[in-house]
Amino acid sequence: MMQYGFSFDISRCTGCMACVIACQDQNDSEGDNPPSFRYVIKYEKVQGTNPLIYFFSISCQHCGDAPCIMVCPVRAIKKRDEDGVVVIDRDLCIGCHSCEMACPFGAPKFQGDGRMAKCDLCYTRIEKNMKPACVRICPTGALGAGPIEELSKKKAEKASFVFLTSLVGDYHR
Amino acid sequence: MSKGEDASIRRLIKAKIPGKETGIEIKKGLCSICNAQCGIDVYVKDGRLIKTEGTLENPVNKGRLCVKGVSNKQYVYHRERIRSPLLRVGEKGSDRFVPISWDEALDRIALRLNEIKEESGPESVVFFTGFPKWLRPFLKRLAHNFGSPNYMSESSTCYLATVLANRLTYGCSFVPDLKNTKCILNWSSNPYYSSAPQAINFVEALERGVKIIDVGPLNTTLSRQADIHLRIRPGTSGALALGIAHVIIEEDLYDREFVSNWTYGFEEYRAYVKEYTPEVTAKITGLAPQEIIAGARLYARTKPATIVTSASVTVHHTNGVQNHRAITALIGLTGNFDRPGGNHVVPTSYYHRATGFDTREEEFEQTKNWEEMAKRIGEEEYPVWSRFIHEAQAVSLPFQIMSGKPYPVRALVGFGVNYRMWPGSDFMKKSLERLEFFVDVDLFMTDTAKFADIVLPASSSLERSELSISPSRYAIWTEPVIPPVGDSRSDVDIIIELSKRLNLNDPLLSKGHEACLDFIFEPSNIRIEEIKKHPGGLILGGFPRTPYEKYKKTGFSTPTGKMEFASVILREAGYDPLPVYREPKYSPISTPHIAAMYPLILTTGARLPMYMHSRMYRVPWTRGLRPDPMVDINPKDGEERGIKQNERVVLSTPRGSIMVKANLTEYVPPGVVNMYHGFPGADVNELIEPDYRDPISGYPGYKSLLCDIRKSNGGDL
Repeated sequence: MMQYGFSFDISRCTGCMACVIACQDQNDSEGDNPPSFRYVIKYEKVQGTNPLIYFFSISCQHCGDAPCIMVCPVRAIKKRDEDGVVVIDRDLCIGCHSCEMACPFGAPKFQGDGRMAKCDLCYTRIEKNMKPACVRICPTGALGAGPIEELSKKKAEKASFVFLTSLVGDYHR
Repeated sequence: MSKGEDASIRRLIKAKIPGKETGIEIKKGLCSICNAQCGIDVYVKDGRLIKTEGTLENPVNKGRLCVKGVSNKQYVYHRERIRSPLLRVGEKGSDRFVPISWDEALDRIALRLNEIKEESGPESVVFFTGFPKWLRPFLKRLAHNFGSPNYMSESSTCYLATVLANRLTYGCSFVPDLKNTKCILNWSSNPYYSSAPQAINFVEALERGVKIIDVGPLNTTLSRQADIHLRIRPGTSGALALGIAHVIIEEDLYDREFVSNWTYGFEEYRAYVKEYTPEVTAKITGLAPQEIIAGARLYARTKPATIVTSASVTVHHTNGVQNHRAITALIGLTGNFDRPGGNHVVPTSYYHRATGFDTREEEFEQTKNWEEMAKRIGEEEYPVWSRFIHEAQAVSLPFQIMSGKPYPVRALVGFGVNYRMWPGSDFMKKSLERLEFFVDVDLFMTDTAKFADIVLPASSSLERSELSISPSRYAIWTEPVIPPVGDSRSDVDIIIELSKRLNLNDPLLSKGHEACLDFIFEPSNIRIEEIKKHPGGLILGGFPRTPYEKYKKTGFSTPTGKMEFASVILREAGYDPLPVYREPKYSPISTPHIAAMYPLILTTGARLPMYMHSRMYRVPWTRGLRPDPMVDINPKDGEERGIKQNERVVLSTPRGSIMVKANLTEYVPPGVVNMYHGFPGADVNELIEPDYRDPISGYPGYKSLLCDIRKSNGGDL
């Protein structure tokens, strides 16, 4: 089964929050306290005398073995065969919050109608060869999306390039 | 249509997929929330904007967008948009207006302005424009045609002081050649927050292994990524630059050929920087001597190297122009001036964009010589500013309104005026009340617009046309992508209509926006008609790239024809000719008696990603990201004061206090607090004196003064 997912490069994330609002713009999250399916967490620590600030952008991870699917009493959550995206049928949802308790990432959000809503990886856009809204806007390219095999291959290539450069100096790909 | 097909189309519409079946169309627009002019793909359905995305083929942002740009839907359709011309019927500031027609509004304005001109001369009417910059040449032309020398803009506090400083030293301005450089000395700029879609240049530089030295008190993402972060005390940039020059000269790392052939005043400069040993510099800046030496060596030994400064951080100090001159002197000292990978001189055209095109912008906007008009506001106080910058100095405006000297100022025609821009913003607000006639053109009913006699509704960039020519020579003319909100109009159309009703008899302006642009770009043979044929924009070809090392042929446009370490113009005007360092007017060193009561250093106005001055506060999406006015304070300082995260605190200077929330963060070093500006109800500019300014440019010292923070006792300030 094909599995799509997000990739994230923490060294590039600047906490600019564009992904958060791009998600709200795409999903028309408006009104009082509109939910965002993606959020950005700031993390600070002092390493020796060096203060470090990092940001982490996170949403639904579209888990391979998704706990939200397991706990949903009405089977409203399922994994799409085509791309492994975890989706919710809001017509079936009873708003019991089980998925919220099971999810390690805080992905399920509850809207005004009491039912769950979450990131769907913009799968309709992906079908049309468009990137998810949050990935498309990311000014530094910290966020990516695609089949996870491709994403991990890219990461491996990038890491080996860094190793190679440190071992043999400047060299062109 | 079958049930299945129906569901599938509903899914496409929900995902906002453009196409015939969904009725969603992508139209090309420009974002004008800031001045970067990012291209935006506007998703339109049934005449309404439903989504925005960066335009891939626009080289300004290459498909990227920032948090503000993607909020355009809420910005454009905000309920506080002004929908028709308004006439104030209540007290000034009361927000009691009645709608009137455009005809009535424009006639009333023209009648009153011509009356005032008749009674006390055209100079008693001021023409001001805020942000962004696209309408500027038109407003300046209107002002001069009217006979008033007092065209002024928000550039009285932003960007132009760096241009002034660079022209004093080099006779021109320059841009960092990021694509070809091997080392970036980034001086107090946070590109990831100030121009996120363009910051990819820094990411790519990092990937290429370009060395980065980051200077500044704030701990930004670029500080983390940099090879060296020189975390100076705010306001001490000048001292650090002199200290770096000291190391470069002592260790013989400077470009002897450039210095001996192309510079003036080097011996004087060398003698002055001798004082700034690493130990002395370390004491002033708060750095360690080794850090200064390491930074100086890395910058001077890596060739080519470029210096990046922000639009105004380096000049927002009471020694701003000289600090900036000290920084940019390093470019010539190391031979990186107008060389590939260094700092490249590219002529700017059409509101300060480095495109290299010849234009008639100056001829277009300055229709009268200065000698034909009265003295500009601020001209006597800031003669060097007035010599180089062809505008009045707006920071002097409230003083002249209040004093009536040297002549009375009675009326203001403003486009996007915000009194919170001024240091001592309450003083500017008071002066607005004193005006006899105030017209404000804006998108929103702002706190400033509430003081206007007549308010005119401007349309957003998505409801009108705009020309953008980027430094990469990509040109686009946009058509309106949605109908105007309410009865709003394009700023330029408002200016053209005003010109007619004022009987200014300007045939060129009367021909309209496009004809004026054709006039401006005529020397480069660029015509709007041609650009229009390419709705998605085009790269203007056939123009030679701006070459390097042009000074070898032309010399420098300074009195000596050379780069001036010692400025002849400053000497003649009675200022220090060298880029001397002076402490901020209020600092622990210059005013220890004040520091005893106000021990923390206050720096203000550093960009937050979601705000652009005050214009995004009202937009729910961006406001939701930082709903409260917050002061950044180091956890150590917080602990000493018993302050916890999100607690209400009082931020005070000798001038006043505001109530804000504490944000404990390593973003600021111990001893420094950082506050964003312009927040309604917690305006930090009220804490800064109206005359806390740089003596050469008049720029406010927003970035370094003294303050204290205490826990709020619950009630009053």
